[in-house]
Amino acid sequence: MPCRAGQAPCRVVRVYQYDEIDRTLVAERVAEFRDQTRRFLAGELSEDEFRPLRLRNGLYIQTHAPMLRVAIPYGLLNTRQLRMLAHIARRYDRDFGHFSTRQNIQYNWPKLEEVPDILADLATVEMHAIQTSGNCIRNVTADHLAGVATDELEDPRPWCELIRQWSTLHPEFYYLPRKFKIAVTGALADRAASQVHDIGLHLVRGSDGTIGFEVLVGGGLGRMPIIGKRIREWLPQAQLLGYLEAILRVYNRYGRRDNIHRARVKVLVKSLGIEEFTRQVEAEYAANHGCAPAVNAAQIARLRASFAPPPYQPLPDSDPSSGAAAAFLAWYRHNTRPHKVSGYRVVFISLKKHGEAPGDMTGGQMDALAVLADRYSFGEVRVTHDQNLVLADVAQHELRTLHAALEPLGLATPNIGTLTDMICCPGLDFCSLANAGSIGIAKQIHEQFDDFDYLYDLGEIQVKMSGCMNACGHHHVGHIGILGVDKHGEEWYQITLGGSASGTVALGEVIGPSVPKRAVAATLARIVEVYVVRRDSADETFLQTVRRIGVAPFKERVYAADTAAA
Amino acid sequence: MRQILLRREVSADRWRYPGEAGDGPLLQTLAELLAASHVAAAVAAELGVSIGPADDLGSLQPWIPRLQLIVVHFEKSGDGRGFTQGQLLRQRYRYPGELRAAGAIKRDHLYLLARCGFDAFEFDPTEDPRAALAHLERFSVAYQPASGTLVQPQFRR
Repeated sequence: MPCRAGQAPCRVVRVYQYDEIDRTLVAERVAEFRDQTRRFLAGELSEDEFRPLRLRNGLYIQTHAPMLRVAIPYGLLNTRQLRMLAHIARRYDRDFGHFSTRQNIQYNWPKLEEVPDILADLATVEMHAIQTSGNCIRNVTADHLAGVATDELEDPRPWCELIRQWSTLHPEFYYLPRKFKIAVTGALADRAASQVHDIGLHLVRGSDGTIGFEVLVGGGLGRMPIIGKRIREWLPQAQLLGYLEAILRVYNRYGRRDNIHRARVKVLVKSLGIEEFTRQVEAEYAANHGCAPAVNAAQIARLRASFAPPPYQPLPDSDPSSGAAAAFLAWYRHNTRPHKVSGYRVVFISLKKHGEAPGDMTGGQMDALAVLADRYSFGEVRVTHDQNLVLADVAQHELRTLHAALEPLGLATPNIGTLTDMICCPGLDFCSLANAGSIGIAKQIHEQFDDFDYLYDLGEIQVKMSGCMNACGHHHVGHIGILGVDKHGEEWYQITLGGSASGTVALGEVIGPSVPKRAVAATLARIVEVYVVRRDSADETFLQTVRRIGVAPFKERVYAADTAAA
Repeated sequence: MRQILLRREVSADRWRYPGEAGDGPLLQTLAELLAASHVAAAVAAELGVSIGPADDLGSLQPWIPRLQLIVVHFEKSGDGRGFTQGQLLRQRYRYPGELRAAGAIKRDHLYLLARCGFDAFEFDPTEDPRAALAHLERFSVAYQPASGTLVQPQFRR
């Protein structure tokens, strides 16, 4: 039954559906954490004993209150789940949630004693917060255009769900030296930042034409940014879990545990060298043959069925822009993308509106978007790693109606891919790790770049901002990266240029001394002025120009005698 | 007398650590075991060894058929290497005897340790073995074919 405007809400279920095992496990997990929380509040568990337990249920103690990170496996939500996220925002928080760069949602104001109730509410819609924090295998992420991208070889989501299950309460890999993040893509373009994950998996065709996995290991950002290295050119799909177990086992045994800053797998890969690390993994993989879980064909078939395409209508491609108003045209051009099925389009919902913290959404907006997703996109919503949402399956002839409905909700800011579509961590306003604010800087940048025509002329520029060197805002791989640093109790910002999380992945180069808080947006203005003057044609993107001319001309302009930054 | 949780029962530990008085069988360190002559070991009625999470299991392999007890001692709470030791001893080295997790062990570790093949638990002194017992079955389902199913620990029989 196609979903059409004015009809009853769409009932197509678009996410993996729990079976009895999944339901039981999540329910028992809620009971376990309820007991652990009770023991902590009763003084039976010390803070040190409770910490690893609460972290593995997504619960941090932050600047103001606990922060709860809820898993959105590979970024996929049905509208029932989105409505529950809205309910949690209203009932337990201050009516908003923050979507993170790993496709999760974070609540900044829950009460510790209410967290077991939140987890119980989440379980009613087949959601949880298991392993969203702590030194364990974290929520697996994927391409937000999985299943609809025009450049896709195979849908990564069945594999993501397999990894979700395998990694959940894995008895051997629950206490790793440090956190461990896995991303999976099945398309030519890498939209999941897979090269800066502990393991990046790419579905690729082998020399005989069979699809398998290219496996990268040891990527990551943080204090020691490194691009992942290839450990396997091609791995048979059936061997996926066995190979992951081999990598995890070598890491679990030999990763450093004496220094938290040297404990990620990237440090082990670096210290052994990729050749020796590969040799050890391959030896473990061979030795473990027969013990490692093989992926059975029936299991993967069942998982694939969970991600079957929705009942698309046969529709011709149409051009909804003819005769449309300028506001629609800008939104259509910047916030929608081609779809692999004719007559459909992918719609991005920008969570980067001027005046709002990047990635934030109110409960009311979530509820309203759930209604629209039911009407126009088969009842499904996705979270992107750059903190926006996606309605993946919108009929082209309904785009204008959808746009008109999104505008009054503040969800139609036509800035996807532009400089103000920034990635931004919660920063000093919420996070106890941060050295500097990031939300305030995002506001400053919005004020500096409030002219959409100028933004459009600048084209694609990815700004990524972190409030500290833990790099939750992925600043190393921003075309323009902004890192908050603390200088004698004041907030300063270091600027990098030329980073990229996709295509030819690169880490940005620092342009010079950090700039004071008041000068960040003005510094960006000078940087893009250099680009406008130096680009060799209207087609050369900011990143291409930086790569061609290097950072020197930008540096010269930023630190010229008359700048506020000097 | 030290209480341990052994195959679902709280019981008195019949083994002695080095330096402990009594008439129970004596646990050895890995170094002691490896230094012992096979002749000396052959006369011992029962053999038990205490190893650390980072010890090399390859050196222990020749002794495995003779051992009645292997203790993995967790110096620090949640040292993940000890979990791998359990999996390897059960799955790769096919060790069938008592496999004990000792040291910084609390009830919250119990379920996953059991899934890694541990069937005996010598708790942190602050933990009550009786209260911990129920946590062995904290979860009734699992996604992984761990040692708890591949090699049935004896308490599941």
